Amino acid sequence: MKVVLESAAYRIAFASSLAFALATLVTGTAVYYAAHVAFARQLDASIEQASVGIVAELHDEGVAGVVRAVREREAHGPHAVAYAVFDPQGNKVAGALDTPMPPLGWHQISFVDPVEGPDPARAKTVLLPDGYRMVVAADLEPIEQIDATILAIFGVAFVALLLVTLAGAVVLGAYLRRRLRRIEATAGAIADGNLTERVAIGPRGDEFDRVAASLNAMLDRISGLVGNLRQVTSDLAHDLRTPLMKLRHHLEAMQARAEGEAMPGMIEDAVERADEVLRLFDAILRISELEEGSLRGHFGPVDLGALVEDLWESHRPLAEDAGRPFEVSVGPGHLVVGDRELIAQALINLIENALRHTPEGTPILLGVRRLDGRVMAYVADRGPGIPADARQRVLERFVRLESSRSSPGHGLGLSLVAAVAHAHGATLRLADNEPGLDVAIVFPEVAP
Amino acid sequence: MRILVAEDDEETAGFVQRGLGEIGHNVVVAATGEDALHLGLTETFDLIVLDRMLPGFDGLTVLKRLRAADVTTPALMLTALGRIEDRVAGLDTGADDYLVKPFAFSELAARVRAVSRRTAPREAETRFAAGPIEMDLLSREVRRDGRPITLQPKEFRLLEELMRHAGEFVTRTMLLERVWDFHFDPQTKIVETHISRLRSKLNEGGLEDPIETVRGVGYRIRKT
Repeated sequence: MKVVLESAAYRIAFASSLAFALATLVTGTAVYYAAHVAFARQLDASIEQASVGIVAELHDEGVAGVVRAVREREAHGPHAVAYAVFDPQGNKVAGALDTPMPPLGWHQISFVDPVEGPDPARAKTVLLPDGYRMVVAADLEPIEQIDATILAIFGVAFVALLLVTLAGAVVLGAYLRRRLRRIEATAGAIADGNLTERVAIGPRGDEFDRVAASLNAMLDRISGLVGNLRQVTSDLAHDLRTPLMKLRHHLEAMQARAEGEAMPGMIEDAVERADEVLRLFDAILRISELEEGSLRGHFGPVDLGALVEDLWESHRPLAEDAGRPFEVSVGPGHLVVGDRELIAQALINLIENALRHTPEGTPILLGVRRLDGRVMAYVADRGPGIPADARQRVLERFVRLESSRSSPGHGLGLSLVAAVAHAHGATLRLADNEPGLDVAIVFPEVAP
Repeated sequence: MRILVAEDDEETAGFVQRGLGEIGHNVVVAATGEDALHLGLTETFDLIVLDRMLPGFDGLTVLKRLRAADVTTPALMLTALGRIEDRVAGLDTGADDYLVKPFAFSELAARVRAVSRRTAPREAETRFAAGPIEMDLLSREVRRDGRPITLQPKEFRLLEELMRHAGEFVTRTMLLERVWDFHFDPQTKIVETHISRLRSKLNEGGLEDPIETVRGVGYRIRKT
């Protein structure tokens, strides 16, 4: 029900079916009243006719003629109308109509039917000479029957119509949703970084197909621009790397020749600086390659537990030298789909960050655990942590918090980790370790 | 050795040619994929150094065609951007090793030596000896002057790589690839730290250090 209420397609379909039902209801009501009024007029006309017919007798014979005419008609005529003649005291002097004397003019009266008991009727009362009154009445039952028939037919028709339009609304809503969902799914895939996804265009060329076509055209344009941007980034990094690499080669050649002089130390420093910039370009190129999302095809199963164990073993001496207790917590059988080296690189960056940005003696824990069916690798320390409002910011490229400006690094470490996580469909989660920082790469659930 | 270098960038080609020439190799340079293929098919070389990106046929195509024509000369691939994709796509095209640009010349020299040595088929060695140090891969024992030394698994693998190439330089990158299976630079001091642990265990009691370090080149364990 929630789905139906939240869906604009269903809302539109239901609103149109409701409008249709309302229109039918209005038409039905109009028809009902028109028929009712027509029949009522017809009834009035026959009462009027009977009344006029009898009053005509008045000219010749007076009230006695009226009484005679009433009796005559009741004896022979059809019983569509009934009569009653009252004397000025209100006593009935003729006619079969069983009712107390009504006031003059048109009224709805109640009479006692010899078969059915009290019954409503339409009546016209006219004044005769000497204070006598004559009532001509017609039973309202035929009209009521017609009304009831019309109502019954219309009621059934309305319910049937309501059911048909509701069914139509459900079908239409589902159809609209299905067509829109294709566009939505594509847009979602694009948002996830898969810029190659396109909306399937149907053969009919309807408005959905046209929306899909223009969406695809827009995506082509965007991926063209993104491609250009990547190309420019790569070209720039590559073009800057080449001269830098040549500079490094020259420095190496100089170093070989300057053996034994005071120069080598300075040249070594220069080589080291060049390497720093080259490493920076390397990180930029890696991040943009990861963001392309084209690596997924090469992924395979990775034993995260074994990898974490291996990384712990490899980095324990580093942590020891840096004076930080380094522990590991691994259970067996944590398989994820990905690239072992990329995950290793991401985790090494996290370990390195923990070693770099905590005071000496800070315990660091590396581990793998399972939470709600998802496997995560984490590095948790007991250091100063990152304030909640800065956690998102540190993932951006080149961002370094004021507190870490003095330590080495280029501010791309966490961006690279985030890019690796993204390429694996994983999320990078920075949490408070109370105290300290708990960074986890939370992998998506693997289908068994 | 006679080495074919297929590299379209003149300066890099010149630098490689001079460098390899200085350490006694005879280098022929090809600037396009077609030239490299032609030379590779018609002349005999001990080693081919191929740039991945070449005008005409790219390096991979050249290598595939050479291998299809039964040219088994060992090949060292230079990948221009060091793209992750190049690594994960693997070395299945028949390259014996690959090197990410930009590289230090010492790295290239070490790889050239290692790749060319690989051509001589060796029996799987399980015991090594270099100077005072003996190593048995099967019983996982290490001795110095007959005295047993206990090593951590990574230290053992490090020593094994050094012993396999006793008397030659093994670069930091080669150690990362072979001991850790990392084809990227983790930018940490894991190699240095493990070497230093290994050293302190080997030299316990103030013995002479058998491992030589040359900054910017690599590590070498003395053969005698």
